[in-house]
Amino acid sequence: MDLILHLRCFVAVAEESHFGRAAARLGTAQPPLSQRIQRLERELGVRLFERNSRQVTITKGGTLLLDEARELLARAEALMATSRRIRDGDAGLLRAALPPDIAGETVAEILAEFRRRHADVELELHELSTSEQLARFASHDLDVGLIHHPCDVTGLGLGPVLRRELGVLLPRDAPAAARDEVPLSALADHDLILFPRANAPALHDDLLTTCARNGYTPPAIRHGQGPSFIRGLIRSAGSVAFRPRESRSVDGTVDAPVDDPEIVWRPLAGAPLALRSSVAWPQGRSDAAVTAFADATTHAMWKTAAVTTDLPSRPVHLRPAAEYYL
Amino acid sequence: MSSTRGLLREAFAQAGVTGRLHAVDIDSGVEVDFGADQPVVTASVHKLCLLVTLHQRAAAGALDLTEQVECPADLRTPGPTGLSAMLDPVRMSLRDIAFLMMAVSDNTAADLLLARVGLDAVNLTTAALGLDRTHATHTFGELLATMKEDAGPGGAQALTDPHVIARLRALDPARGNRSTPRDMTRLLAAVWRDEACAPQHGPALRRLLGLQVWPHRMASGFPFDDVHVAGKTGSLPTLRNEVGVVEYPDGGRYAVAVFTRAASTAAILPAADAVIGTASRIAVDALRAEAGRAARGGAD
Repeated sequence: MDLILHLRCFVAVAEESHFGRAAARLGTAQPPLSQRIQRLERELGVRLFERNSRQVTITKGGTLLLDEARELLARAEALMATSRRIRDGDAGLLRAALPPDIAGETVAEILAEFRRRHADVELELHELSTSEQLARFASHDLDVGLIHHPCDVTGLGLGPVLRRELGVLLPRDAPAAARDEVPLSALADHDLILFPRANAPALHDDLLTTCARNGYTPPAIRHGQGPSFIRGLIRSAGSVAFRPRESRSVDGTVDAPVDDPEIVWRPLAGAPLALRSSVAWPQGRSDAAVTAFADATTHAMWKTAAVTTDLPSRPVHLRPAAEYYL
Repeated sequence: MSSTRGLLREAFAQAGVTGRLHAVDIDSGVEVDFGADQPVVTASVHKLCLLVTLHQRAAAGALDLTEQVECPADLRTPGPTGLSAMLDPVRMSLRDIAFLMMAVSDNTAADLLLARVGLDAVNLTTAALGLDRTHATHTFGELLATMKEDAGPGGAQALTDPHVIARLRALDPARGNRSTPRDMTRLLAAVWRDEACAPQHGPALRRLLGLQVWPHRMASGFPFDDVHVAGKTGSLPTLRNEVGVVEYPDGGRYAVAVFTRAASTAAILPAADAVIGTASRIAVDALRAEAGRAARGGAD
């Protein structure tokens, strides 16, 4: 018996609750589909569905098996994807992406770590924003990447959520620079330099909403992300930019995030802002190379980028228009 | 209508959501299609299918809409409105229960009606109307129970965790109550043409859709006192939907179905609610422009 084929039939009938619809979805006829379900029931020794003339309902036993069947199908799909890559001659090509704001040391550490874990795979590494990565996951042009939350995670497998608290880069002569920790409200007179909204719209909006909630509504937003462009705007236009504390060297000391005598980095009081990231891949398409990249990236972020685990968030109050309740 | 699709893409992107839409001029059949055949999670939008089923059962003489139903205090489906939020025993008629289900999306009201007509009847109703992609697999209580189970002990706070959002069965159209935007506009058009149910029930169905209280989604796109919007919303974490009919004083009537999924997990996201109105307006404006061109004999 072709177990995978039979399980695919089982899942389709369970999801459609209807032999005709399930057959249509599988592109087959109804009689062979019914026979396959009966064979699977014999093989497993478990009755999966109750049928009557009008409808079909999944049994308790069927329900218990459904999740495992789905898992097995996903694993089978991953196996087929890997075999396709081998067959197509680009065995061991992993298409991976990192966001533009990742530090150089972290990139180097990821590459070194990946090499240690999976030397026989060629890594094709791209610099892509969260939005670009999600689009490429959807079009099957990317195997794995580091994305920023919040974003639409439909159909993605995720590694652990890594939190990097944001501090602020500001001109050394700004009054707020005299403090050890800067409250967001002390930035009120400065324009804010932020990555282009299209890179990660939800994160962009989230950052601005949190700024406003904490008393900072920038007079203007300037979009930019290149380090020298940002440095130029801070020095000449008195703007500020958010940046994680980064570059934790191997012995645990924290390096200065900027080596410009006219610019200082300060933590934000109360740590109101953070970048939350995780490695992501299309669900069911994970293989050894994807896992190696995910582990290498998570490891490198912990080692070089002052990461913490994600903290519990603030209370969430659902309002009546949410329509649901927990 | 390629520029309409461009405007819709832009509006959804601006609001930080993935959007699917179908809009159709009920009388001419001219349509706007933006992912109209994608499977979507219906959430409370499925209450419209239940409402139509209830009236079909009444038309068939299987039940009386004025029949009184007991709703004890201890057997209620969780929810923030209507009977779900009330504390004491209630006794009311089937049609008033239907009013609460449609006006404030009362989950207990919906499950009381489901208990009366059965999930199978709802699926028979949608199948008989040719809505092949529409299917209900569980009650609203069961839906909320899977969410509670998948979210774990963290409660509402857990719904901001990307891992929790990624594993919620409630957000997977393959596993729960589902439809497509096109199926939903087909259902609305049938209700407005008195084809969904015996004609004497049409006014009651349309009245209840017009009594929905939420103004923040589809209705927000039509801030004109002489334009009538009747609809049913649906919401789950990151999901915001509404299907409805927009009627203009010149007789134009348009069925619109919008299903969105937000990137942000925030429970309160006004831009994501409002884009349902914005997108509906873009689609209806396009349909009205098309009708105008047709009336002028396609001169432009």
